Amino acid sequence: MSMEDGSSEVGEDSDSPTSDEMVGYRQQPGKLPFSKPGSGGKNRFSEPTDQSMIPESRGGGLAQPWGSHKHDNLVSGQIIGKPTSLVDSNWKVTGQAKYGDDIRLPGEIIGRILRSPHHYARVLSIDISKAMELPGVLGIATGDDAPGKFGVLPVTKDEHAMAVEKVRHVGDLVACVAAVDEVTAREACRLIEVEYEILDSVHDIKMGLENSENPIHDRGKYHIGESNVQKRVFQQFGNVSEMKENSIASHEADWTFTGVNHGFTEPHAVVAHWDPSGRLTLYTPQQVPHYLHRALADVLEVPMHQINVYRTFVGGGFGGKSDPFPHEMCAAILARKTGRPVRINFDREEVFWVNRGRHPSKISMSLHADSEGRLCGIETDALIDGGAFASFGHVTTYYNGVLHTAPYEIGAFHYTGARVWTNKPASGAMRGHGAVNSRCAVETGIDDLSERLGVDPIDFRLANLLPPHSATITGFRVTSIGMRECLERVKKESGWEEKFRKMPLGKGIGIGCGFFISGSGLPIHWDPNKFPHATVHLKIDMDGGVTIHTGAADIGQGSDTVVAQSVAEVLGLPLDMIRVRSRESDTSPVDLGSYSSRVTFMNANAAISAAMEIRDDLLNATSEITGAPTESLVIGDRRIFKKMDPAVGVSYLEALHKAQEDRGALVSSGSYRTPPMGRAHKGAAAGLAPAYSFSAYVAEVDVDVETGQTKVERVWAAHDCGKALNPLAVEGQIIGSCHMGMGQVLSEEMKYGRTGHLINPDLLDYKIPTVHEMPHVTPIIVESNDPEGPFGAKEAGEGPLLPILPAVVNAVYDAIGVRVDELPITPDRLYKEIEKRCRKEKIGDPLDLSPPTLLFSPLQETLVERAYLHSERDIERRHDDDPPPYHNGALFGLDPEVPGDEQDSRWAAVVIPPEGYLDNPGLAGSAWKHAERRHRED
Amino acid sequence: MVPGPDKINWEAKVNGRMVSFPIDSNAILLDILRDKGGSLGTKRGCDMGTCGCCSVMIDGTPKLSCLVLAQEADGCEITTVEGLSSGHHLHPIQQTFAECGGSQCGFCTPGFLVVSAALLEDNPSPTKDEIKTAIEGNLCRCTGYQQIVEAISKASEILVSGDGIEDSTSPKSDPHPGFAGE
Ligand code: FES
Ligand code: FES
Repeated sequence: MSMEDGSSEVGEDSDSPTSDEMVGYRQQPGKLPFSKPGSGGKNRFSEPTDQSMIPESRGGGLAQPWGSHKHDNLVSGQIIGKPTSLVDSNWKVTGQAKYGDDIRLPGEIIGRILRSPHHYARVLSIDISKAMELPGVLGIATGDDAPGKFGVLPVTKDEHAMAVEKVRHVGDLVACVAAVDEVTAREACRLIEVEYEILDSVHDIKMGLENSENPIHDRGKYHIGESNVQKRVFQQFGNVSEMKENSIASHEADWTFTGVNHGFTEPHAVVAHWDPSGRLTLYTPQQVPHYLHRALADVLEVPMHQINVYRTFVGGGFGGKSDPFPHEMCAAILARKTGRPVRINFDREEVFWVNRGRHPSKISMSLHADSEGRLCGIETDALIDGGAFASFGHVTTYYNGVLHTAPYEIGAFHYTGARVWTNKPASGAMRGHGAVNSRCAVETGIDDLSERLGVDPIDFRLANLLPPHSATITGFRVTSIGMRECLERVKKESGWEEKFRKMPLGKGIGIGCGFFISGSGLPIHWDPNKFPHATVHLKIDMDGGVTIHTGAADIGQGSDTVVAQSVAEVLGLPLDMIRVRSRESDTSPVDLGSYSSRVTFMNANAAISAAMEIRDDLLNATSEITGAPTESLVIGDRRIFKKMDPAVGVSYLEALHKAQEDRGALVSSGSYRTPPMGRAHKGAAAGLAPAYSFSAYVAEVDVDVETGQTKVERVWAAHDCGKALNPLAVEGQIIGSCHMGMGQVLSEEMKYGRTGHLINPDLLDYKIPTVHEMPHVTPIIVESNDPEGPFGAKEAGEGPLLPILPAVVNAVYDAIGVRVDELPITPDRLYKEIEKRCRKEKIGDPLDLSPPTLLFSPLQETLVERAYLHSERDIERRHDDDPPPYHNGALFGLDPEVPGDEQDSRWAAVVIPPEGYLDNPGLAGSAWKHAERRHRED
Repeated sequence: MVPGPDKINWEAKVNGRMVSFPIDSNAILLDILRDKGGSLGTKRGCDMGTCGCCSVMIDGTPKLSCLVLAQEADGCEITTVEGLSSGHHLHPIQQTFAECGGSQCGFCTPGFLVVSAALLEDNPSPTKDEIKTAIEGNLCRCTGYQQIVEAISKASEILVSGDGIEDSTSPKSDPHPGFAGE
């Protein structure tokens, strides 16, 4: 082919000037019959995009009762809002999904951990000589091999890979062994000789508040007295001084919550491998690979870039796989020592030793209501049992208080919280982190309070809700709020009015609500402060498939699916053209991990911004080809075309190839960071979130008064998740949350015997509900269209757990007139309460008990009227693009534009106990009797 | 050290393939399947018969493989989750678990699939209660079972109707579609 041929072709084909004269060889357009690259699939013809999925603000058929959204113009009607199978479900249903223990590397050896038989002891010596002599043993490590401290929160690093100096609970790690097989490794553990000096252990949570000769940890100058208090919080907001005099009814309860475990089905497992180039790859089912990455670098003393954290499939997390764990360090240490890949797989008992489940706690709750039926005060004192390590405890201590300052507008909030170390397996973050127990206490308190006031508890709640775009008493920024709709929906669908306080003895119905963060406002590692919380990379090459790189950890909740859906929606592509690569830190941009219900909100937002960049490239390319201005173009079903004249357009692939000219693969990066928000007091960041989810559940129960057996029959579960990106997954989260909460309220309990031993570290005696215990759950999705959420979405993974506990407890009261203050409500516990009531009322046969009844007081009408006015107010505010500020306190006559404490001297904002508080402190509040070491003279 | 167990030769038909190798006489079937039998899809959740993750079919009957001595299954036909689909055609129960949300984290899924496939084999149109009874020994922490029960009912409809499941390797969407009227 000659040059002349080429120029003459160009000249004939177009009348473009020959200014871009060709130099050198070029392929002649149209000369050779090239097939269109990438075609050959099915669905040759475009189905028109689903108009019913396009928002009405863009002329589609999707109603938007909550107004339009900034992402409306990105909706291509492909996939957002459609029930969608998880993108990795075929891997799971065929048994091909590889979880921690399924990673088998050539030459692997087996690691086993030697654990402490004592609650609390000093390790005097460890003799490994006999164990090392055992044939088949390849390496043994002890605390000396890696004395560095770590912990999930940088402020409270108090864990070691293995015991350094002390063991702090039965099951604490002492040493680890690598051997050719498991039998040998177990035998070697038996041969390790350890000399201990036993120390006095602390088991009783109250004892943790006292000074001790040997505090479980030493926090140096920050140590609180000589006690085992790990963290303490004091908060007073609002009109605390007058809340009692202003009240006409009060509720008081002292709750005891036992510890519960996540009960995920996959026990922890880890594989560590140092490759020939000297880099470590750690395969582990982690929710939070990034924090593990940091901790590994600290403990192993190698730079982060030398480590690749590989997240396997995760067989359930629920918060239980979100700390960096000592066994992960052990595997890496053993693999380094032996030069072989090391696999450690836990048995179920070890899962309970690692624990990080919900804190056992003692919570005193007082609620006060005034003559207008307003919540003029909430007083909470929460003493929580942290077990042997800090874990997320710093945050948990705050969450036990601050996460019940909404959804209600309140007159005063007084919270004292303390978390103590005890010689038990560590508590940590578990689904509904820190909010579950105190929420149960608040919601059952409101039930009691409503009864004392002679009003319906749903109407009481409806008349006391914060409006959209408001600030809570501690300054959290509430954006969208669908609480009212949740309450109204469950009220209607459950047939509440015909049932509440009207059913025969043994049958009851109850309500509970929830409020939860949708991502936490501050990342755990504050520095460098301007790092995004989530980053997503996209890569699209000539085949048209889109590769998403993200570090977000799919733990079964479907985060890979949501990120794929978001990108597919923006680019107008079917889901099968999207592939997600989210496993390895080597290839994924940093994501902070799957905790605090942050992934959908933050990661999908990052994905949307990455996809918008690509979308712009495609629109520009199309505009270049067709001459139509980019603003006139829309994307849908693998085509880019003129909105007003759909015949003018090109296929996705044509646009892509045009955009790729001189550039190759399209790549983009999008990220998300929370906006600045909240107030400035100490601890103001705890509980601060870019959005909050709300939920209301009604449970119907059947209680056998003769045996104390409770069966939950039905649950109507309404959850405001902003917008259900994948309704199938949202419903799954709601029903699954009900299951987990039902376990805690009826049967699950980590039981400690008289000697302080955990006596049920197995799934036989730790009773997770089976299919027979599960009620029929009716999930009701409420979509409040959050202004900052991706397509309006908020979280749905944790919040839905909160309301089920109080709903069941309140239903039990409705059924038999007995209020419990201890969970789980096992038949023996409940029967004792039934007997108590019988004795008190001098009734011989429990079948003669009468269920509670309700006579409305005049206040009921006041509340119904107020609720009506508020619902008008709320609708107005949610449609207002720039609503005036509304601070908690307006309901009590304050100026809504300013925080209460800035306008009324009676309204406090205090985070240190005022003088005199210690004269009569709450239980947890008494933690403040100690001074921090740095504040003392010694 | 305790004296080691005897070695015996073990033979079984795992997912239609004859396998045979020496094993310890006290070996547990679950370990053998996972470590030697090529079935990492069979999961270990508790090792003591409480979770159901390790369910496999032995001669058509669902059993907890963590409670079965490998010896006991010598000469038997064993079906694990990997043996449910034929080629790239999923078993209806696999398809409906994916569609109905019966699998979230997926760790319990192999156990549930094996148990429900065995149920459907026996009883192609089970009632809700029969379904619940069949899966009562399996724990799932993610789904709350509701979508699992739905998936099993739906699979039974597919089985009864005789509809097949599409090959998962069949061509997917064309990135360069024509459009109507082209
Ligand atoms: S592993 Fe067999 S029942 Fe749990
Ligand atoms: S899907 Fe996770 S345990 Fe069942």
